[in-house]
Amino acid sequence: MKAMQARVRKLLEENKIDGFIGLKMEHGHPAPFMFSRENLGEMETLVVGDVRYPLNKALLKVSGQYPDLTFGVMVRGCDERGITELLKWNQLHRDRVIPVGVACSSELAQLCECYKPYPSDWVVGEKTEGIAKSKRLQKIEGMNQKERLSYWLNQFNKCIKCYGCRDVCPMCFCEVCSLEDRNFILTGKLPPENPTFHLSRAVHMVGRCIDCGLCEEACPSNIPVRTLYKKINEIVKEYFDYRTGESSEGKSPLNLLGEVTLELSDVNK
Amino acid sequence: MAKEAQSVPGFEPKIIAFLCNWCSYGGADLAGVSRLQYPANTRTIRVMCTATISPHHILKAFQKGADGVLVAGCHIGDCHYIKGNYMTIKRVAVLKELLRFTGFQEERLYLDWISSAEGVRFAEVIRNFTQKVKEMGPSHLRTTY
Amino acid sequence: MEYKTVLTTCGYCGCGCGLYLEVLDGQLVGAQPCKTDSVSQGGLCIKGWNVHEFVQNSERLTKPLIKKDGQFKEATWDEALDTVASRLKKIKEENGPDRIAFLTSAKCTNEENYLLQKLARAVVGTNNVDHCARL
Repeated sequence: MKAMQARVRKLLEENKIDGFIGLKMEHGHPAPFMFSRENLGEMETLVVGDVRYPLNKALLKVSGQYPDLTFGVMVRGCDERGITELLKWNQLHRDRVIPVGVACSSELAQLCECYKPYPSDWVVGEKTEGIAKSKRLQKIEGMNQKERLSYWLNQFNKCIKCYGCRDVCPMCFCEVCSLEDRNFILTGKLPPENPTFHLSRAVHMVGRCIDCGLCEEACPSNIPVRTLYKKINEIVKEYFDYRTGESSEGKSPLNLLGEVTLELSDVNK
Repeated sequence: MAKEAQSVPGFEPKIIAFLCNWCSYGGADLAGVSRLQYPANTRTIRVMCTATISPHHILKAFQKGADGVLVAGCHIGDCHYIKGNYMTIKRVAVLKELLRFTGFQEERLYLDWISSAEGVRFAEVIRNFTQKVKEMGPSHLRTTY
Repeated sequence: MEYKTVLTTCGYCGCGCGLYLEVLDGQLVGAQPCKTDSVSQGGLCIKGWNVHEFVQNSERLTKPLIKKDGQFKEATWDEALDTVASRLKKIKEENGPDRIAFLTSAKCTNEENYLLQKLARAVVGTNNVDHCARL
């Protein structure tokens, strides 16, 4: 914590950044907040813990308002992947973001089943090994078709259409959302069209989902959407050899025509 | 809720066929002009290119009760828009994997390339796919919504 | 340049979900569920997610309006309250208290809602009391 506070203070004092988006302990709750040179006195309240907020989403809002300023942001492994992708999707400018890393605790890494629970560089925490294969994915893959169908139909039927998964998602930056297209998703109907609503969002997560899991944490109905998007990441890796957010090279497979690497026999298995 | 997926006597499936204007629709045209016989279970939707078909359209077709969805475009390299079908095959591959994972029987979605010279093959593809969907029985989504 | 979040409680219904309003340079730009809130535990419904929208909305009414000659006209609070009081009194005298109903609001506190039902039952004399978020 002290190391993080010292690093942020230094960055601000040396004018490397104009603001730092992190968490501030207030009223006993950690809350998203921007530390700047005007409120250096509050640096003591900067905290790092296992509570996570979509700080990249806050960064998009602030940097959208001040495109010429440079901002620091607290990143975990997932947030760093997010920044890498947001740069590729032209939502941030490379010279305008300075990430300050946090390595996740082993408990959090286990809970998330994160394959890389640490950023490339960090000032707080210790590196813990990632989890190569998600157990929740294995559990569903072990079911037969009928079990999978009834599992997901039941899960999707719990949806109260709060759009929380989308609103919290740091990778959802579109100005127009197809899930709000009334020709596509009927309005005034609960649960929303099952499975169109959830599968459409899943398709949109191709090359975007950084597996931060905020969607599932935000879901008031506890739908295991994260498992669905973990599967999407696996599909993208298997078919296109693309790991979302891992490298600044290459673009998301559905964001780029590229060359064709698949054959009909790969698709109609 | 979920109906048994097996052959139902007298069941006639409803199949939505997205055909690209330049190749597969031409193939369908040729099949018609050549008076080839094939099952009348398909409802054709002509699109300018298969790349214009978003996974939304396919999902919506299933949601509205289609028992099968066929997407047919030009062979790779023959696309009127050079690379449109490159995107189609990627999208369909992802969507089919997703449908498999969620138990929505990805066999109900079928992708093929049919050129405008392949009238005979068009009839054959429709025949085979209709037969396959018929054997699978009605879609689960017919009864849930 | 200032970005901060303000911890508050959702005003849309009786659940009382904890949320943060995101403030960028004095403008509300979003709402986030409070992860550590013991009531909502990091979840919100669609109303909570959009709770920031009405506060600074240009279409929000900030002054009472009274309909005169078929047109709504801006009025002072005294004028509006006098009108309401006199009309309610008249209705009660002419048609009885059960011709009047009270609809209270989730945007008020528990205590304010208590006072309103007290006004309905003790002063006006009707049990026609309901709430916009009676779940």
